[in-house]
Amino acid sequence: MTQEELGILWLVGCTDLDKRTAAALLRAAKNPARLLEEYEKIAPSVINSPDARLYKERGSRFSALETLVKELKSEDCFAVTAVSDDYPESLRNIAAPPLLLYGKGNRALLKKRRFCIVGSRVTPQWAVSFGKDIARELSEHFCIVTGLAEGGDSAAIEGALPSGNLISVLPCGLHECYPASHVALKEKIARGGLLLSEYPLHETVKKYSFHERNRLLAGLSEGVLVLSAGERSGTLITANCAAEFGRDVFALPYRPGEARGIGCNELIKKGASLVTKAEDILSFYNLEVKPEREEGADRPDLTPEERKVYEVLRDGGELHTSVIAERAGLRVFEVAAVLSSLEIKGFAVKAGGNRYSIAR
Amino acid sequence: MISTVTCFALAGLEGVPVTVETDVNKGVPAFEMVGLPDAAVKESKERVRSALKNSGFQFPVVKVTVNFAPADLKKEGASFDLAVAVGLLKASEQLVGANLNGIVFLGELSLDGSLRHVRGLLPILISAKARGYTTFVVPAENAGEARFLDGVTVYPMKTLMDVVKFLVGAERPEPVRPVRYVPGARGESSSDLKFVKGQPMARRAVEIAVAGGHNLLLVGPPGTGKTMIARCIPTIMPDLSFEEALEITKIHSVAGILGEEGIVTERPFRTPHHTATTVSMCGGGNRVVHPGEISLAHGGVLFLDELPEYKRSTLEALRQPLEDGKITISRSGGSCTYPARFMLCASMNPCPCGNYGSEKLTCTCTPAEIRNYRRKVSGPLLDRIDLQVEVDAIAYDDLTGEAPEESSKDVRERVNGARAIQRNRFEGESLHTNAEMGERELREFCTLSKECDRILRDAFERMQLSARARARIIKVARTIADLDQSEEIMPRHMFEAVSYRLPEFR
Repeated sequence: MTQEELGILWLVGCTDLDKRTAAALLRAAKNPARLLEEYEKIAPSVINSPDARLYKERGSRFSALETLVKELKSEDCFAVTAVSDDYPESLRNIAAPPLLLYGKGNRALLKKRRFCIVGSRVTPQWAVSFGKDIARELSEHFCIVTGLAEGGDSAAIEGALPSGNLISVLPCGLHECYPASHVALKEKIARGGLLLSEYPLHETVKKYSFHERNRLLAGLSEGVLVLSAGERSGTLITANCAAEFGRDVFALPYRPGEARGIGCNELIKKGASLVTKAEDILSFYNLEVKPEREEGADRPDLTPEERKVYEVLRDGGELHTSVIAERAGLRVFEVAAVLSSLEIKGFAVKAGGNRYSIAR
Repeated sequence: MISTVTCFALAGLEGVPVTVETDVNKGVPAFEMVGLPDAAVKESKERVRSALKNSGFQFPVVKVTVNFAPADLKKEGASFDLAVAVGLLKASEQLVGANLNGIVFLGELSLDGSLRHVRGLLPILISAKARGYTTFVVPAENAGEARFLDGVTVYPMKTLMDVVKFLVGAERPEPVRPVRYVPGARGESSSDLKFVKGQPMARRAVEIAVAGGHNLLLVGPPGTGKTMIARCIPTIMPDLSFEEALEITKIHSVAGILGEEGIVTERPFRTPHHTATTVSMCGGGNRVVHPGEISLAHGGVLFLDELPEYKRSTLEALRQPLEDGKITISRSGGSCTYPARFMLCASMNPCPCGNYGSEKLTCTCTPAEIRNYRRKVSGPLLDRIDLQVEVDAIAYDDLTGEAPEESSKDVRERVNGARAIQRNRFEGESLHTNAEMGERELREFCTLSKECDRILRDAFERMQLSARARARIIKVARTIADLDQSEEIMPRHMFEAVSYRLPEFR
């Protein structure tokens, strides 16, 4: 790391100074490297409080920095500062850009084009499987940016992780994990993709950190796709930030009145682009679109019964097993067998309560 | 003078002969009891004293010693009263000319000399008959239990005086007349599948579960009819055979919950509340081991409503009996084995608020809450539940619709058909149903075609199932094929069997 980078790393990582003071110090110092060397000269002109007495000893500044650098190394993490080469340019034009980001995993992903896919934790099954497919297709052109939560975020992770084009931004330190049940998933991302966080390694999750994290999700990306959002979903914060920062907003349409999608429909009303397939996003960015997959009607690998049930599902949306049975002219337990076969083949998904829908 | 009288003690479901020896000696008046009697047996002294006096006999004012042999077996309960009283009368020479040899006396005495009901008469009669005893004197209240056993002469008696009259030959009472067993009449009961509106998936799952003796989990929001469906299970189970009825009656007799008719003619449906302790569920007790709910449900259904609310330790204790069909309980006083071959039917909500997966209502639970709620039921226990089915909220139209649903009787006919196939299949083996098959039988009777094997493998990867779950899916597929009267397990059977696993309930 350069002296400038170390200066910022010390300023943000080793002191308890608030963001505004840190920014003022940085402006006063002109060159961040000076902070380490001559902090005691710069501080009095910026900080007009007893805090100005802190961090005056040069030796302890360097030893604190050394401890942090060692810890980052032992945790296999790295730090990206506002003066680093690979600091994402797109972050510079957002509200309160972070001076320092901690990362773990494939650092090269910071140089790629990025697209954000988010969804609430109560994303319906069909939207999860849709999100998975779309994340997979987009990850050929973009690095997918998302969180680490269940539901929509997990769908994006599952779709994009195989290609490795995945950045997951955490609302807590890299050493922590929220939700705790996703520890294994977090490790997988660290190995295959990239984890980012603006918080110190051991910082636990706070209520406000989700808001701050969501601004980063939007800031890092060219566009944001919202898979699901309730009326007051946190996903809407990401979408609003994106609109504010001048990013493109995309949303999945929902049936009117569907609680899990009210936010998505609102976004579309306000001007977000309606998305029903990956092509909608790819063509928006003038990217090459792969020929569309053939429709179920001529899928050769389905038995006649499976095709019939598949068509019923395709025409009817989310349906109850007994309704499917009626429309397909089969008995309920026969339909159960066909549906489970379609599910295993990846054409149908369970929506809960004995209801099914096609897998996208 | 010394007298010896035979009676029986209970050890689990076995009757053990106990000889009551009474010795009357000159000396300081006293009444000693030896041979490990418990408090209830010791108290019989006072009951016997009053019963003798109030029946017009003398309580001898001499030194009396009563010995219960074998001396090392712990004796409990009040069923020795009659034997003690008769022994005392004989020893004090108030019963002249009576021959007590070969007669087994059972009964509790009340202070006025009448005989009271005893627990566990049927298992005692069966054990005693096997040991060559054929003549019994029992309380009249217990006569019902003796009706179904032939080859024994059982005299039901109302009072101690009646017993004495019989022993001295003054009266010839009528022994219990044997009756032929008839399975319980299934009249118009309040639980019948025809009253269950809609729920085609759950109906089908119940049918399969009963046909193959599989365990069943019903998952659904509150008020969707989970309990109602579960209550219908006994109505579609096959009739009890005499042997089964006798086995169940033995357990119920030992537990002291047998009704007037003296034999269990309908399959038990036990619904222990979720506050049940492990001991009440599995059986146990201080010195004498009492059967628990799982043994009382033997041959029938154990219904656990609101499964996650049960104590974890209680549920885990069910794992071994679910595999073995019996439970061995060990206490310092000894161990005993009770049969516990029951069908487990459990119900639960999909999440704490109950609305998860509902079409109209919104679930307010966080994913973590849902996970914690479901985690209360352990994976190993869920593995043992072969059929997991969602019971969903019913549309109002379905609820009031007049269209008749299939009745329990019709479903039972199909179940009986499938059971008949299984009886043929397991002829000469100790198995009854598909669910009891072990690895060897699986290999022999459930050969899978290439196609079925592939389906299973796909499902396996998709749902990350355990090896046990795999075996259980095959067994369910076998039962579905039996219901379909199909010799071979077809892909459609396998697909249906796979659909009864809820992957989110791993």
